[in-house]
Amino acid sequence: MNMGKLLLIVALLGAFGVVVGGVSCSRRGSGEDQLTICFGFQDLETEFWVAGHKAITETLRAKGIRVLERNANQDANRQLEQIRDAIAQEVNGIIIIPQDGESAVTIVGEANRAGIPIAVFNRPPSDRSNPALVIVADNEKIADEAVAYMAKVAREKGKGRKWKPLIVVGDLGDRNAVARRKGFFNVMERNPDLFETPIEVPSKWDPATTLANLEAALQANPDVDFLFTSSDFLYPQIKAVLEPLGKWKKIDEPGHVILGGLDGDSTAYTLMKEGYVDATGVQDLFFEANTIMEALLTAIEVGQKTPENWMEDPGFALTQENMAERADEMWGYRVLHDE
Amino acid sequence: MGSLRQGTLTAVLRNVPILMFAGTFVVFGLLTPRFLEYQSLENIAKQASYIGIIAVGETVVLLTAGIDLSVGSNMYVSAVAAGLLMERFAISPLPALLVCLTVGLLFGLFNAFAVTRLHIIPFVVTLATQFAGRGLGWMLSKSRAVTFPQSVTGLGAAELLGIPAPVVIFAVVVLLAWVVLTRTTLGRQIYAVGHGLEAARKAGVDTRRVQATAYIICGVLASLGGFVSVAQLGNVNSGFGQMVEFQAIAAAVLGGASLFGGIGNVFPGTVLGALLIQMVWAGLVATRTDLYLQPLIAAAIIFLAVLLDSVRNTVLARLGRHNIRVEE
Repeated sequence: MNMGKLLLIVALLGAFGVVVGGVSCSRRGSGEDQLTICFGFQDLETEFWVAGHKAITETLRAKGIRVLERNANQDANRQLEQIRDAIAQEVNGIIIIPQDGESAVTIVGEANRAGIPIAVFNRPPSDRSNPALVIVADNEKIADEAVAYMAKVAREKGKGRKWKPLIVVGDLGDRNAVARRKGFFNVMERNPDLFETPIEVPSKWDPATTLANLEAALQANPDVDFLFTSSDFLYPQIKAVLEPLGKWKKIDEPGHVILGGLDGDSTAYTLMKEGYVDATGVQDLFFEANTIMEALLTAIEVGQKTPENWMEDPGFALTQENMAERADEMWGYRVLHDE
Repeated sequence: MGSLRQGTLTAVLRNVPILMFAGTFVVFGLLTPRFLEYQSLENIAKQASYIGIIAVGETVVLLTAGIDLSVGSNMYVSAVAAGLLMERFAISPLPALLVCLTVGLLFGLFNAFAVTRLHIIPFVVTLATQFAGRGLGWMLSKSRAVTFPQSVTGLGAAELLGIPAPVVIFAVVVLLAWVVLTRTTLGRQIYAVGHGLEAARKAGVDTRRVQATAYIICGVLASLGGFVSVAQLGNVNSGFGQMVEFQAIAAAVLGGASLFGGIGNVFPGTVLGALLIQMVWAGLVATRTDLYLQPLIAAAIIFLAVLLDSVRNTVLARLGRHNIRVEE
């Protein structure tokens, strides 16, 4: 073995030692009487997850609870390992934002076997085989409400003509994305006289994929005049495609594409205020965060090891009609004003 | 007559990638006539440009019989570094680009050092740098999206003589790589190393230097590809660049590059490969193919292209073989 190789191996072992040492220190540092909750999330890629992360961690810490944060960075296997590690550290409770419904079932099962109450935030397990506290927005209903408003606008503006709708679909492995797509199609089916066959553009929740696919879809169908995005975080890419085509217009301008989305982030709020977006489905992020934390803390307090309760965030559609009264219920509005 | 038929067959086989590309374009065009318009081709070229730039670097590494799995993480961490500096210190796009390229260069240098000095196999080295790079990017960005200012996104939307800037950059990269690979000593040495490391060494080629240069070129081009992508997207999220290594390798292989080294070219090979992949996805969207079927059809087309290329190489090798007959 040459010297360079030996040095590299020594350096790697040293780094490993530092990491292991750090983990051991964090374990030893925990107090006996202090509650410890592991919060496992996927990433902080979108404003929704950033705000959710902030709401959960700050609220728990304000209650004097120690929070073990574990970022799996979109890797379901890594999250499983992180949760196993948290279980080994004998945490009092677990909150996760899973990568997908399937991995959520597995992770919940691990917590169940260890007798540690677990709560799932915003992305539900794919089945109810393992008991958990779950909070999830009714994505189908929220999408339906937002698109229904857009359809109403289309009917008023169209005076009998048919519209060409397009939906930017999320990752089909994500149940929320599938539910949002279903909500969109519910409105299409209720209004067969109003819409042509919808164009579906896969985004895989990836901005680069969205940009490429949306550009291809609009090249083939330049007469699209009704667009729904399954997530507000894709608005920059939608604007980048619509603007060069002369389709990025305000509501009262000729050539406006009826535009809507779902999430309720600050970009959607700003675009609604500026008059580019007609409606957005809003998930009540703070309601979801508070509800799931309260449910978990209650379960810990009463000694429930495998509590089960599926809770629903009804959400709502913020539209140009109700914006003046309901904007402050939108989490994106509050994030923007907090900043 | 027989030699004419053989000549035609050889010409067809030599141009399988071009024929495959043209065939795919025509089929999608027949299904959706607008797909045949110039604008459609321009969009495909624009969207393929960043993958194409990275695939050019990957081709250079593949030619040396190596592989670089770290290009996706490289583009992520270099874009994050540039973006954070722009956010915090309001530096202008040119210094940001230089920072981005420097990070890519460092990636390339590390891979080159580990492969040529520590003699660790490229697959393992670049797999390690893939993980390390992604982790470094997450650490720097705290997994949050890094947003780039209008001055950068303006570059992505800019045009030069009516051609989108990303396509121009891609074309320049391809031209330079083509010149290096076909008109310089280094290019010939890259092919020689890929054909046989030991033989090249015995022929007096400094194989370490050649391999190191390939990884450095690949590292710099990965970061450049990342910057070109960012200029179109406007932000970098934590998934930025994931799986790009496979797209880049697929583009190179579709263009005729061998995973065993020594065979392949950036023009027309890798260029066509990158464009073909993008065209397939754009075509599936334009023809409104069922969303659940799209990945299956795309995989089938790519598999067919690689299969045809493999058959082509076998047949061409057979046609080029000189038969020696034993006189009876």
